Amino acid sequence: MNHIYWCNMMLKASIKVFKSNLYNQNIMNQQMKIRTRSFLSILMVACCIAAISSCKVNLLPSYNAAISEQIDNTAKTIDKFYLSMLETTNTENDGRSFKNFTDKYVEIEVELNSLLNKNKIRPLNKNSTRICEITLQFWVKYKEEHKVKNTLKDGLILLNRKTFNDLFYAMRVADEGIKLGNSLPQ
Amino acid sequence: MNIDINALVTDMLSAIKGTVEGNWEKVESTANQFLQNRKESLQLLVQLRINGDIDQDEFDSRLADEKLIVEAELNALAVLSKAIAQNAANAAIAILEKAAKAAISAAI
Repeated sequence: MNHIYWCNMMLKASIKVFKSNLYNQNIMNQQMKIRTRSFLSILMVACCIAAISSCKVNLLPSYNAAISEQIDNTAKTIDKFYLSMLETTNTENDGRSFKNFTDKYVEIEVELNSLLNKNKIRPLNKNSTRICEITLQFWVKYKEEHKVKNTLKDGLILLNRKTFNDLFYAMRVADEGIKLGNSLPQ
Repeated sequence: MNIDINALVTDMLSAIKGTVEGNWEKVESTANQFLQNRKESLQLLVQLRINGDIDQDEFDSRLADEKLIVEAELNALAVLSKAIAQNAANAAIAILEKAAKAAISAAI
C-alpha cells in the first residue's frame, strides 16, 4: 500500500514539474517570438533605408565648371569674330574674302567640336548634346556660305551673330539647369 | 516602431511644392526670354529683306533655320524642367529617409 501511495505521489510530483517546465518553456518561446519579430522589423526598415538611399532620382549629368567656362569663352570668340568682321571690314576689295577668315573659322569649329564631344560622352546629357549639334551645324553651314560666295553681306553677319547669341543663350540655360539639378544634396 | 504616414505624406508634399514653386518662375522667365529672342530675330530678318540687304533665297534659308533654333531652346527648357523634377523627387525621398531613420532609432 505504502509503495503504491509513494509511486502515486512521485507520479503526481513529476507531472507537476513537467507542467511547470512546459509553462516556462511557452513563456520563453513567446518572448523569443516577440524579440525575433522586433529584430526582423528593424532589419526590414534598415533594408528599406538602404534601398531608399540608393533610389535617388538622377535625370541629369553632374555639373562641370570647365565646360561652363568653355561655353562662355566660345560664345565670346564667335561674337568678337562677327562683330570685328562687321566693324573692321567691308565687301569692297575682297575685304571679306573667305581666305582672310579661314584660321578663325577653323579655331572656332575646333572649339565647337570639343564642346560637342565633351557633352556627348556625359551620361543623361541628350538635351545639351543636341544644342551643341545644332550650333556646330549652323557654324559649318554659314562657313560654307561664306566660302561659296567668298564674301559676306552686313545683313547676313547681323543674322549670323544673332543666331549664335541665341544658341549660346540656350546652351547656357541648359548648363544652368544642370547646375540647378546638382545643387541639392543627392 | 511608429511612422505617422499622414504627417510623412504632408511633409513630402510640402517639400515637393517648395522645390517646384521656387523654380517655376525661372522656367517661365526663360521661356519668355526665348520667345523675345525669336521675335527679335524674325523682326531683323523681315527688316533686312525689306531693305534689300538680303535676297529672297537668303531670307527663306534663314527662316528655315529658325525651326532648329527653336528646337535648341526647347532642349534647354527640357533640362530646366528635368532639374526641377529631380530636385522635387529627391527632396521628397530625403524626407522619407529621415522619417525611416528616426523610426529605426526609436525602435532600437
